[in-house]
Parts: sequence; C-alpha cells; structure tokens
Amino acid sequence: MWKNFIGEMARTMDEMLTNFARFLPRFLEMLALVVIGWLIAFVLRALLRSILKLTRFDKLSEHTGAAPLLRGAALPSPTEILSRFVFWVAWLGFILVGINTLGIAGLEENITDFFGFLPRLFAALFILFFGLLAASFFSRAVLIRGVNAELPSPRLISWAVRTMIILFVASMAFEELRIGSHTVIVAFALTFGALMLGLALAFGLGGRDLARRYLERRFAREQGAEQESREREDELSPL
Amino acid sequence: MPGQDGLWYKDAVIYQVHVRAFYDSSGDGNGDFRGLAQKLDYLQDLGINAIWLMPFFPSPLRDDGYDISDYRSVNPTYGTLDDFKAFLAAAHQRNIRVIIEMVLNHTSDQHPWFQESRSSRDNLKRDWYVWSDTDSKYKGTRIIFLDTELSNWAWDPVSKQYYWHRFFGHQPDLNYDNPQVRDEMWSIMKFWLEMGVDGFRLDAVPYLLEREGTNCENLPETHGVIRELRARVDKEFPGRMLLAEANQWPADLSAYFGSGDEFHMAFHFPLMPRMFMGVKLEDRKPITEILKQTPSIPDPCQWCLFLRNHDELTLEMVTDMERDYMYDEYAKEKGMRLNLGIRRRLAPLLDNDRRKIELMNGMLMSLPGTPIIYYGDEIGMGDNVNLGDRNGVRTPMQWSGGWNGGFSEADPEMLYSPLMLNPVYGYQVINVYSQKRFDHSLLSWMKRLIRIKKTNPVLGRGSIEFLYPANHRVLAYTRKLGNETILVVNNLSSKAQAVELDLKNYRGNILVEMFGRNIFPRIGELPYLLTLGPYQFYWFRLRRI
Amino acid sequence: MPEGSILSDDFIRELINVGEVDIVVGVPTHNDARTVGQVVQAVRAGLLKYFPRERTAIVNADGGSRDHTQDLIRAASISDLNVASNVHALRTLHSISTQYPGGQSSGAALHTILAAADLLQAKACAVVSPDSTSLDPEWVERLLRPLLRDGKDLILPVYRRHKFDGLLIRNLVYPMTRAVYGCPVREPYPADYAFSASLGSQLLAQDIWTQEQGRTGTELWMALTAIVNRCKLAQAFLGTKARKEDAPADLVKAMRETAGTIFLSLDSYYSAWSSPREPLEAPCIGCQPTVSLEPTRLNRKRLYDMFKFGVSELEPVFFSILSTATHEELKRLAGMSEDDFSYSADLWARTVYEFAGAYHKAVIGRDHVVQALVPLFRGRAFTFLTENRDTSAEQVENNLDALCQSFEREKPHLLEQWAERK
Repeated sequence: MWKNFIGEMARTMDEMLTNFARFLPRFLEMLALVVIGWLIAFVLRALLRSILKLTRFDKLSEHTGAAPLLRGAALPSPTEILSRFVFWVAWLGFILVGINTLGIAGLEENITDFFGFLPRLFAALFILFFGLLAASFFSRAVLIRGVNAELPSPRLISWAVRTMIILFVASMAFEELRIGSHTVIVAFALTFGALMLGLALAFGLGGRDLARRYLERRFAREQGAEQESREREDELSPL
Repeated sequence: MPGQDGLWYKDAVIYQVHVRAFYDSSGDGNGDFRGLAQKLDYLQDLGINAIWLMPFFPSPLRDDGYDISDYRSVNPTYGTLDDFKAFLAAAHQRNIRVIIEMVLNHTSDQHPWFQESRSSRDNLKRDWYVWSDTDSKYKGTRIIFLDTELSNWAWDPVSKQYYWHRFFGHQPDLNYDNPQVRDEMWSIMKFWLEMGVDGFRLDAVPYLLEREGTNCENLPETHGVIRELRARVDKEFPGRMLLAEANQWPADLSAYFGSGDEFHMAFHFPLMPRMFMGVKLEDRKPITEILKQTPSIPDPCQWCLFLRNHDELTLEMVTDMERDYMYDEYAKEKGMRLNLGIRRRLAPLLDNDRRKIELMNGMLMSLPGTPIIYYGDEIGMGDNVNLGDRNGVRTPMQWSGGWNGGFSEADPEMLYSPLMLNPVYGYQVINVYSQKRFDHSLLSWMKRLIRIKKTNPVLGRGSIEFLYPANHRVLAYTRKLGNETILVVNNLSSKAQAVELDLKNYRGNILVEMFGRNIFPRIGELPYLLTLGPYQFYWFRLRRI
Repeated sequence: MPEGSILSDDFIRELINVGEVDIVVGVPTHNDARTVGQVVQAVRAGLLKYFPRERTAIVNADGGSRDHTQDLIRAASISDLNVASNVHALRTLHSISTQYPGGQSSGAALHTILAAADLLQAKACAVVSPDSTSLDPEWVERLLRPLLRDGKDLILPVYRRHKFDGLLIRNLVYPMTRAVYGCPVREPYPADYAFSASLGSQLLAQDIWTQEQGRTGTELWMALTAIVNRCKLAQAFLGTKARKEDAPADLVKAMRETAGTIFLSLDSYYSAWSSPREPLEAPCIGCQPTVSLEPTRLNRKRLYDMFKFGVSELEPVFFSILSTATHEELKRLAGMSEDDFSYSADLWARTVYEFAGAYHKAVIGRDHVVQALVPLFRGRAFTFLTENRDTSAEQVENNLDALCQSFEREKPHLLEQWAERK
C-alpha cells in the first residue's frame, strides 16, 4: 500500500511537473508581454503628453470647466490625467493579452469583451468631453445674452441650459457604453419632458401678458408706433 | 430726285474761301479771281460742289471786306468784273456752284450813299441810314463787337447827329424802313443773279430793322423784308438759294425759314460750340440737348453746319458756365479770346489731333444739314493769334513747301498777311502738295469722306433719330430717307469705349461699315455691342438681305 | 453673377456706361426710402455747385430694399434723356444702384462702393449715410476738396452733437484710438467720410472681406488701417448730425462693431501700436464747437441697474476675463448707491484694456468677451452722464480730454496684458 501511495504521489508529481512545464512557457510569454506592454504604455503616455501639451489641451479643458473641478479636487491636470489613463489602459490591455495566452478557459471571453468595450469607452469619453465643452459655451452664451437682454435670473437659465446639455450628453455617453441605456434614456426623456412642460405652462399662463406686450411692440414697431418702447429706451444713439 | 428738284443745296458740300487768301496769280501778294479759277481743279478733286466766297467788293477793308463801298464791282486787288465772270463760268463748268456774300445790314462809311446821307440832314439819301439826335434810342440793344465798340450809336461830326451801327462804327446800318433802300438792295442782288451767281449768304440779317422797346433783333418787320426778297428771287430766279447768317437760339433761328417762304438755309450757330464742348467734356449731352431744342423746319429748308469759319468761334449762344468752360479749355491765353468767342482754327483747337479732327468732320458730314468746310481746314492749317482781330484764321492758303507756300510769287514782305512758319503748322509741313502724295494724309481722308457723303443723299436729306445709349460718351443716331437707313456712332472720348445700342427696331439688318464696306454682325434681339477706339466713329449702312 | 464676386454682370454693364470719373459718392442703403431721396438730391446739388466740371457719379450699394430706395437713387441721374428744366449741368451725372449679395451688411456695401470707385478710376470717393437728413451741399465740398486739392487720403467727419450722443464713441472708441493708435480723431467710426483712390485700393486689396471685420465695423477698420499706415488724415466739420429716429439702439450690436473691431485690430496691428510712435495729426478743417446742450430725455437709472445686474450675474465670466484687482473694484462699485457711484476714467481704461487682453488670448469665446463688456459700459455711461449733467460745453470737452489721458496713462497696462497672455 505504501508503494502505491508513493507511486501515486510520484505520478501526481510527474503530472504536476508536466503541467508546470507546459504552463511555464506560456507564463514566461505572459511576463514578456507584461514587460513589453509596460514599455509601450510608457511610450504612449509620453507621446500623448507631448501631443496634448502641444495642442494646449489644458487650455481647452479650461473651457469645459473640467480643469477647475480637477484642481478643486487636488487632482493633476487634464493632460496628466489623460496620459496616465491611456498608460493604464494600454498596460492593462497587454496584461490581459498576456493572461489570454495562459489559455485559462472562461477568461478568454471576458478578455475579448474587454477589448470590444475599449472603443466604446473612448467614444463615450470623446462625447463627454465635447459635450462638456458645448455645455460650457452655450451656458455662457445664454448667461451673457440674458444679462444684456435684461431677462430675470439669467444665471438660473444658464445653469438650466448647462444641466440640460450635460444630461443629454451623459445619456448619450451611457448609451454608447451600453450601461443601463434604457433606464438612462427614459430618465432623460422624463426629465426633459417635465422641464419643457413646466416651462410651457409657466410661459403660457404666467407669461401671457409679457408675450402679448412683446408681440404688440414688435408688430407696432414695424408699423411705426413706438411710444411704449420710447418709455423704456434712451433717446440717444451710442454710435 | 435729288439734284433735280431744285434743292441742290441739300446735297451740297460747301467750301468757304476768301479770294484774297487762296491763290495770287498776279504776283502782288494778294489772291485774285484768276488765281482762284486756276485752283478750281483742286477743289473739284477735293469733291466739294459749292463755293461760298467772302466779300470781294470794293471796300476800305476795315472789316475784311464786310464794309462795302460799292456793291456792283470787284475790289481791283482781286481783279475785274470780267475776271469774276470767267471764274464763275469755269466753276459752273465743273458743276461747282458759287454763293457770294451780300451784306444787307450796313455799308462802309466810305460808300457814296453814306457820304451823301451824312452831307446834310436834307439830303435825299438822308433816310437811307438810321439817324437820331440822341444816343438813347433803342436802349437795351446788345453790342456785338464788345471788344471794340462801346455803343451802337456813333456821332457824326459832319451832320451833327448820331447814326446807328450794330457792328463797327465805320459800318452804318441801312434803314430798311425806307422802300428805296429795299428796292436798291434787290436791284443789286439781281445784278449778281443775272450774272449767274447761285446764291447769297445774307450777312447780319437779324439786325435789319429797329423798333423802340425791343432788342432790335429778329423783329417781325425784318422777316417781312426777307419774305419780300425771297418772293422776288423765287419769281425771277428759281433754284437760287438764300443762306441766313443769324447768330440766334434755335427757336429764333428757325423763324428765318418762315413757312418755307424766307431763307432756304440758315447756319446752325448754337450747335457748333457744343460740338467742341462735347468732345472736350467727353459727353454727348450738350450736342443732343441743343438738337432736341431745335425745332423742325419746313421741308425744302436746310440747316447749314460748320466747324469753323472766318469769324471767331462764337460763344454767344451758350450759358455763362459753358462759356467759362470753353474759354478755360480751348482758349487758355487771353489773346485767343475775342468778342465772346475764340479766334482759332480747327486744327489748333483740337490740339492737332488727327483723330479728333476726323471725328469732328465725320459729325459735320453726318448730322442733319449741309456742311461747310473752311478753306485750309481740309489740310489742317494752323492759326496766328498775333494777327489782330480775326485775321489769325485768314492766312494764305498753303499749297506747297516752296516760295511763299506756293501762294504767290511776290516777295514775302508784300503778302497781305504773313505766312504760317512754325514747325508744326508752317507751310513747309502743312501743304496741299505733300498731302496729295499720300493716301493717309488728312487731305486724302477728307476726299474719301466727302465722296461717301455725296454718294449718300440720306446724310443730306434724311431725318435724324437719336439713340441714347447709357454710355454718355457715345453719340449715336440713325439717318433715314425712304428705305435707306444709316447708323452713325461717334466716340467723343479720348479713351476706348464699349457701348450697347438698342437697335431692336432694326432687328435683322446687317451692318455694313461704309468706309471699308466690311460687314458687321446682324442685329438681333439683344443690345448691339460695339467697341470704339479713342475718337473713333462708325458709319453703318443697314442692309436687309 | 460669378462665384465670389460682389458685382453683378448688370452692374458691371452700368459701370461701363459710367466710364472714368473723377469723383464717386457712395450711398449704402437698406430700406431708406424715407430719407434717401432728400440726401441724394443734396449730394447732387453739392456736386453741381462745387464740382460742375468734374466727372462725377453716385453709386448706391443696397442690401435688399423692399421699398423704392433704389428708384429714388436712380432718379437723381442727369442725362440728355431726362433733363429737368431747372437743372443746369455741364455734364451727364450717372446715379446707379446695385444690390449686393448676402443681405444687409455695412461692410459688403463699402466693399461694393470701393470696387465701383476702383473700376471707375475715381480720384476721390465720398460715402454718405442715407439717413443724414442734415446733409447739405456743402458737406460734399468739405469732404472731397481736401482729397482733390490737398492730397489727403482720408477725411473723417466732425459733427456738432448733443453731449450725450454717441456715448460709446466718446467713452471707448475715441479714447482708445487716441491713446493706443496715437491719432485724436473724434469720429473714428464715421457715417459720412471720404477717401482717396490710393487708400481705396489699399483697402480693397486687404483680405478682410470674407471675415468679420469685412461685414461689420468696416468703417472703423478702415480708419484704423489708415492711421496705422500713416496716411494723410484730416477731419472736416460737417455741422449737426441728424439723429436716428426709429429703432432704438442695439448696444450689443454696437459693441460688436466698435469694441470687437478695435480688439481685433490690436492683433493685426500689434507692431504699430506696441512701440512708441509719433502721434498722427488729423487737422480739423473748418471746426467749430462740437457739443450741443439741448435738454434731452434719458433713462439714467436703468444704466445703473443694468451695471449692477451685470456685475453680479456675470461674475464667473468676469472671473475669466478681468484681473482680480479690477474685478474686486467692480464688485465694490456695484455695491455702491446710485449717488456715490463713480466709474472712474482710470478704472474704465483698465477694464477696457483687460478685456482687450482677454479677447486677444480668447480665454473664452471672443464674441462672449465683447458682449460681456456691455453691462460695464452701461456703468461707465452712467458716470459720464452724471459728471456732465450740468456742465458747459467746454467742461464736457475737458472731461473727455481727461478720459483720454487716463487711457494714455494706462496704456502700459494693455501692453502687460499682451505680454502675460502671450
């Protein structure tokens, strides 16, 4: 019986060593890939950092309002963050490829999924970035115009515009990532619709008089009657 | 049929010449009738078919012969009456008609009539002139010779009264209220008509009669005198022509045609300075405006057109603004200005620019009227502003580059007037002999022009219709007679021009350029585009094939 | 019309018919039938009276009028076809009109007039505003004579205006032109002016016509270009300026045309204004007192309110544009009562310069920078109105002079803005 046990043990050891021997090259391959991946990711990070510095990405990000946010959270600049992000994504990618070569079943599918996910991730980031830019631009435009047109609460309107655009963009990004897309879309639609309805009611009921006066003034001016405007406006031209 | 209907003057091309200035056959330094007769071949070759002679009657010559002291004779300097008759016959032989001057309005104070009239207040011929005790009658009458005369009245120390003179003081006006004067003047005209003269240029006709409270010009009574004369001419000498010299606005001028019972022809004085103005302004406005203001005249009547003549280029019939402009542009030196006019010849006025000279002559021949060429302008003679009065434009004709310019064999010092000597207009440069040798000379070109003019009666007799292209630098009009239509396009500008003409009414016609007889594109629906070089003009015959 | 051309084939044909001229008078219009007839008749009278022998033409560049503006212009022609008996003219006078493409734009109108004047080889070109109802024939002479006789390149107008008229010009455009560009012209953004053939060709050749400054504020750009190129400038006194009677002023639009143009010019002409230069003289011909004092109705309180409102609501925007010190100063000002409120000349000059710097570096959209200046200008206008409420004409001039000196004093601040933003 002891002989069987040792024989079994020897056989198992044999198997283990064989498996190990079979596994080792793949392991070494993986290690190599990880190291190479690190190198490539490092180069990519450096390259991206130079490109972003050249195109003044930081300055652009100022416009989106993202940079001040990051500064507030004591995080590094957008250029740095993006470069590091790319570094990690790239290295992660290589690590996963390396793991893939180990041939561990089950993982392969997940890894493929991950690589399939990457382009959508970048697209979503892209949408988000430009969306933030647009939100910033349009909210500022509305703010300044609102102030000059003497609208009540221009800041509120500006905030509303910014929020609307960000929500819209965020939902687009989520849709792109296929994360809870239905939920997000429905939520967005509900919010948007409610806001619009609220505005319509507000303007329709509450702004009736204002609208009437505005139209009268507009129409009357074209026909040459200007008394109402005269009451409010200065007599002189600035030019 | 043109030429056969007694309206020969409508087809005429008249050459104005002074016998004294043309050719001296006797060697005394003055041109004469024998000399003129010798040069008739030249004139026939040039193509003209009528000569207008300036006064050749005996005269003290204080107004270049317009102060006449004997109406029935010839100034001995120019020859005898027989010489004149020989010249007349020679001209007629070459189908050249002869028009002479008849100064009706006044005589020289050396005329025997005036000598008699002034001798005493009771003289029989006293009433042949206009006398007055004071010089305040007919106030408001303008003075014509502004540069020399201060009044229209002159004091006669002999009979101690004032006599009326619209021109120089030595040219007393005849009194046409006196029937004797009228009869005598007719008898003088008859004298010449019987000799064979084809017509008269009647000098200074607006001023024949005076009436208190008027400007003494263009009076109905004056027109009465003219009608009387015309009736006599028509009755006894049909086919002879009367040409009026009346420097008036078109409305007043056309009155001299009456209803076809006064003058056959009259000079269109107001048009002439406007042609010069148009070329200088590079704008047709002055020309079209005056012609628009020109009333229509009876059918047998005709305007007489000219560019220059023996007188100053008169600026009486223009506004002050226009006169100032003409002075500043055409008579920069004060010496060139005389009596509200400019005393320069055609070539110097046009800066001796051949193209301008051609353009002006082209307009002269194509505007409605009978053209008159002033002697020497066909070769581009210059003027001498240093000679007094208007004598600067009356220098001897330049025939050749030789002795006295071929005018006379006398010593140069004997000539009635100095010759032109400068290197631009001198006789060595500008003369008939050298210009005859070249096809491209001004003389050769004038001959071609006159030939085309004569072979196209539409130019003399046709109606005129102006086109008003938007390019105001182009003067364009059509001349029509029966089925013949000619399109004339003139570029008044010194720069090349493009012009679009509205020729819709002539759609389908082919244009044939009349000098080279090449065809131009057919007139279609669209405006007809033409381009013209500086001062260029086109004459197109419209042909429908 | 061929691609990219502002001149239609029909208009070219009309220009051929006009031919070479000595003088062009340009009239830019858009639905001005109420006043342009009178203006054009006065122009024509001026040409006939003062330039009877010159070849002249009136050229109208219209932005798409639906009324009979163009007909009124064309009716001013003098030709042998339509001579009125009471008009005595030596020459034909063409009065032509064209519609430029792209809708109403003062820059496009000027471009058309420049092109026409260039093709017609005009020696001098005047441009008059179609609502200058106070225009009399003498204006034509005063604008054109210095060009033709004295060899000037640009004639800018000087008007007799109410002391509170043209506040934007008085408080921003004039002081900046004087301080930054070294040329004291009273109306750098003129409605009636004249220029020589050489300046016209220079402008025509510039590459601005498809850009912003070729559509609005072009007249101001033209004046600045002339100043920078050291052209021979002069100012002509024209008399009273007619006040616009309809449409109340759109201050944002006006700010774009003025501040927008000046700020843009600072970029293009940096080398001209950044280094010290001899001031450029612009002698005034026939100048008389230019300030009139009739009482007039103004809504001052509204200006004060809008300033306060603007400062508070636009705080994030001002944060990006202004320096901290200036921003703090403005916030303090906004907290003051109406009686104590005083937007000093120095502060205003610094404000304007910082805006210029922000525009230069486009810290936010450039148009937003310009628009954001509007409420601040209202504050400055309020102070101007207060300071000059009961003053004499001379005192107004002195105050204006003091304002200009503030701008001159603060000029190094502008240069700093440029340097640090670089």
